Amino acid sequence: MLWKRIGLKDFEFPKVHDYKKDYIKIEGKFPKEVKINRISESENKYFDIEFSGVGDKFTSFAKKYYNAGIQLRLPRNTKIVEPVKLEFHMDENNPTLVDKNLIIAEEGSEVNIIMDYYSNEKIETLHNGLTVIYAKENATVNIIKIQRLGDSSQSFDSNIAYVEGNGKVNWISVELGSYISGSNYRTYLDGEASGSNLSSIYLGDGIRKMDLEYTMIHKGPRSISNIETKGVLKDNSKKVFRGNLDFKRGSRHSKGVEEEYVILLDPTVKSDSIPALLCDEDDVEGEHAASAGQIDENKLFYLMSRGLDERESKKLVVEASFRPIIDRIPYKYLQEIIFDEIERRLIDA
Amino acid sequence: MEKYLLNINDLKVTIEDKEILKGLNLQIKEGETHVIMGPNGSGKSTLAYTLMGHPSYEITQGGIQFDGEIINEMKADERARKGIFLSFQYPEEIPGITVEEFLRTSKTSITGEMQKIIPFRRLLKTKMEHLGMDESYASRYLNLGFSGGEKKKNEILQMSILEPKLAILDETDSGLDVDAIKIVAESVMKIKDEKCSILVITHYNKLLEYLEPDYVHILMDGKIVKTGGVELANQIDEIGYENIKAEFSNI
Repeated sequence: MLWKRIGLKDFEFPKVHDYKKDYIKIEGKFPKEVKINRISESENKYFDIEFSGVGDKFTSFAKKYYNAGIQLRLPRNTKIVEPVKLEFHMDENNPTLVDKNLIIAEEGSEVNIIMDYYSNEKIETLHNGLTVIYAKENATVNIIKIQRLGDSSQSFDSNIAYVEGNGKVNWISVELGSYISGSNYRTYLDGEASGSNLSSIYLGDGIRKMDLEYTMIHKGPRSISNIETKGVLKDNSKKVFRGNLDFKRGSRHSKGVEEEYVILLDPTVKSDSIPALLCDEDDVEGEHAASAGQIDENKLFYLMSRGLDERESKKLVVEASFRPIIDRIPYKYLQEIIFDEIERRLIDA
Repeated sequence: MEKYLLNINDLKVTIEDKEILKGLNLQIKEGETHVIMGPNGSGKSTLAYTLMGHPSYEITQGGIQFDGEIINEMKADERARKGIFLSFQYPEEIPGITVEEFLRTSKTSITGEMQKIIPFRRLLKTKMEHLGMDESYASRYLNLGFSGGEKKKNEILQMSILEPKLAILDETDSGLDVDAIKIVAESVMKIKDEKCSILVITHYNKLLEYLEPDYVHILMDGKIVKTGGVELANQIDEIGYENIKAEFSNI
């Protein structure tokens, strides 16, 4: 990543202490063949990958100096409905989190994972994460990541998935916090008819700087990817968005779509969008669309004509733009957490 | 001097530096129903948006007095609280807020009184029944995926809940079938009984058959060029605007 774009030149990691809090939350009962444990060295081979994520420095640090994370293995044809929840609520005693996560979904299995990163506004925290997913034939991994750390925090998050034939990895990313946030998602659609959706929202307020990079690499024939991002920027926030569709040789009849729509609430924000389409194969379909604009004046007017004041109306229009993505989160309580945080940042600030 | 609810005086309005209204005068008293007809591009919708306070429409001359106060500078929400309602020609879709939540918020801010959930729901249900709207619309996102006709009905639903002093109906009848026009007209008649003044902007006569307007105005090229009774609307229905256009261009 080109950190100079958001002005992070000489980043130094602090000393990493133990992360003492319990973060694996499981409700309901999973079959005992499902193994969820804290990450350990035994799984190092799965992290022996070429992946620089938000930057080599960050991923190699996470590989070595992690202090939290899970290893989850789903046996063949095992489907678990209840989500695996990882709640990282950072505090004074646990201000540094380096989480390293491994998810292996064997053939025909299915899992839902929620990863929620949260900290109190005042505390300076650092999050650096690395998540690696292997979705085997016909397996489905649905993963929701919510970054709502306080404004004194920094967050770096690198995610990679390898998807085999007919497998699916569906990412939902919600970026609401930290004054510096780097977020990188890379999905290899290795198998025939493999698929991945990445739905994301981001909100920039205050002086937040965000660097988001989403990459779909099509290798298998008839693979399908879809990136859909909705953002809102206000105050003096800055954002760089990179959406990459890469069709490798052999990915014939594949299709990839990327779309980013951002609302600029203030003239003082800065928004860069850099879509890229790479093709080594002829018979593929790649589409990208990006638009950045002010809030829809007609929508605002419609709401105000019903007596709602400008702030309330703006909030509703912003929420309306996020809504299609948030509605994909099948957990009501999470939707509420997200909307509360959006409301707090839009109105109370 | 007579007391007008709405008094528009020599109003000039531009949008993106193009003058659309070119010295428009219109006076409406409490409880009156006025109709504005006019060919496409004559400024009908501009008048509607200007009265409601759309920020893109700039008043360059003249004034709008409503309920004893000049409202030129007021924002749309202030005008709504003063009792102006616009039924939109193209209502916006807002995913994320349901019809019920939206109307309750709206009614609260217009009346300044918190609307309790249960009584409000009862009121909403009654009004929806009047309009032949299925109850399920109350819990759907505002206008999202509504048909053209349902959007228009939803506008009239909002009007009857918010009980304005002046309701402006901008092409409310377009996109409605004959039965729906009748149903909508009945709801409009009800608020008319509550002494609400009504300004109907329309192309057609269908709605007028029910509403019995006091005045019909013809708007052309940004000005009202002719005022009469309902017979004027009938005349236009039969022979169009050509005669009036000719008459007007001779002036």
